Amino acid sequence: MSERGEVYTHEDGPVRLVIMNRPDRKNAMTPPMLEAMLAEIERCGREGKALVVAGHGDVFCAGFDMKMVHDDWRVLGALLRGLSAVIRAMRRMDSPVVVAAHGAAVAGGCALLGGGDMALTDQAAKLGYPVVKLGVSPAVNGASLANNMGFGRARERMLDPGLIDGREALRTGLVQVCCDIREDVIPTSVRWAKKMAGLEPTAWAATKRHLNEIEGSAADEQFEKSLAASMGLVGTKDQIERVAGLWAG
Amino acid sequence: MLVTLNIDGRVATLTINRPDARNAMSLDLLADFHKRLDELGAMYKANDKGEYEGSPPVVCVVTGAGKGFCAGMDLKQVLGIEGAAQKLLMQLGEVCHKLRMLPCVTVAAVNGAAIGGGCGIVTVCDLAVTYADNKMGFPEVDLGICPAVISAWLVRKIGAGPARKVLLTGGLLSGKQCHDLGIVTECVPTVADLPAAVDAVVKRLAGGSLNALAATKQLMNELDGSNDLAQARRAAELSARVLSSPDSQALLKARLG
Repeated sequence: MSERGEVYTHEDGPVRLVIMNRPDRKNAMTPPMLEAMLAEIERCGREGKALVVAGHGDVFCAGFDMKMVHDDWRVLGALLRGLSAVIRAMRRMDSPVVVAAHGAAVAGGCALLGGGDMALTDQAAKLGYPVVKLGVSPAVNGASLANNMGFGRARERMLDPGLIDGREALRTGLVQVCCDIREDVIPTSVRWAKKMAGLEPTAWAATKRHLNEIEGSAADEQFEKSLAASMGLVGTKDQIERVAGLWAG
Repeated sequence: MLVTLNIDGRVATLTINRPDARNAMSLDLLADFHKRLDELGAMYKANDKGEYEGSPPVVCVVTGAGKGFCAGMDLKQVLGIEGAAQKLLMQLGEVCHKLRMLPCVTVAAVNGAAIGGGCGIVTVCDLAVTYADNKMGFPEVDLGICPAVISAWLVRKIGAGPARKVLLTGGLLSGKQCHDLGIVTECVPTVADLPAAVDAVVKRLAGGSLNALAATKQLMNELDGSNDLAQARRAAELSARVLSSPDSQALLKARLG
């Protein structure tokens, strides 16, 4: 187990878990956290290990640390760029990527699901993109979400700020497995990662690359367009006022 | 007016208003639809950062007057009139495109039967709510019509495989089936449950930032090909060519005449 900063890793045979570690803040993402995740994911890819992205504590991830954004709105740009880079690195790995989204995967946390070859959650979990209420567009994960769910479902999920539970996430293709209880999500994710890691690696990687190519889902253009749509609003008056409203009164 | 536009704060409502004909889309109705969409569209003025000025609607509900949503194109009206069917199809194609281009989030409140082009309007909306035993679907091929005007929208919404099955097998679908397929977002048990469900969606959306919603919607439009007006027009031309064939005309006359 690595030293426990905002991200730590845990080895389990052919699988490396990269674990977000701010449990007292529901693993809210910071720019350093995303930088550390990116470094670990890239290392995982270089070493050919299967990856499980997980969160420490009660829930997977509540999204960006909006208090940091409130204190300095420029942080939002760093968070969006960091998140986009993490999703892209997940999609470009030649080895399996599983997202273990237990409890809650909200906003930027939900966006991580788009980078996985599989995503798991639990029945009572809450998932979705309420950030449009803060003037933030979830478009940063638009292309990867559309690749996983289809355009119609992705459009619905990103435009409706309501949260859905794990069963609805399974029904609509946001996740591929829904566990009965949250405690099962990480162990089940590790089992799926091991299963994929146990398959013939050359054929497995060729299949993943082929799927990426068919979808265009690893192409820079898709990530750049999606990132640009979210970045375009960074620092607008509406956004600053809405984020400030979270801490007002 | 055959299509009405009501603005209530940040919520617009477009109502297809021809209840005595189950809101079937005639040439006049589609001309009104264009006008109302233009009126609504003119409320959105964005600066170069994508920020909208004033307080235009964040959400637009699309619904039908009376007990139906929309029975589709009024083909009876244009049967045997040279060029009329073509005009009807082109107008529908352009209405669908214009509806999609609205910066606000569109929600179809599918309050009754939504057939053919009517179900197409549902498909073009970003979100849709209906009830379990509603009558919906695309029976165009049963009538000798090629549903090209709405086919691209359906492929975008539910994927190519399911759209192929729906469009090539014709017939009707229940509200529940449309929910399973992804044509509608939410399905309530009965029509009596619909207003509360629509209100809940509208409330959630109306609290959102128009800038953020519009930026998200514009990205999705770009990624899924919605912006392609030329494609929409080609589709209308194809549908019109098929409709003007002797076989289609004979079948339609027998069914509608």
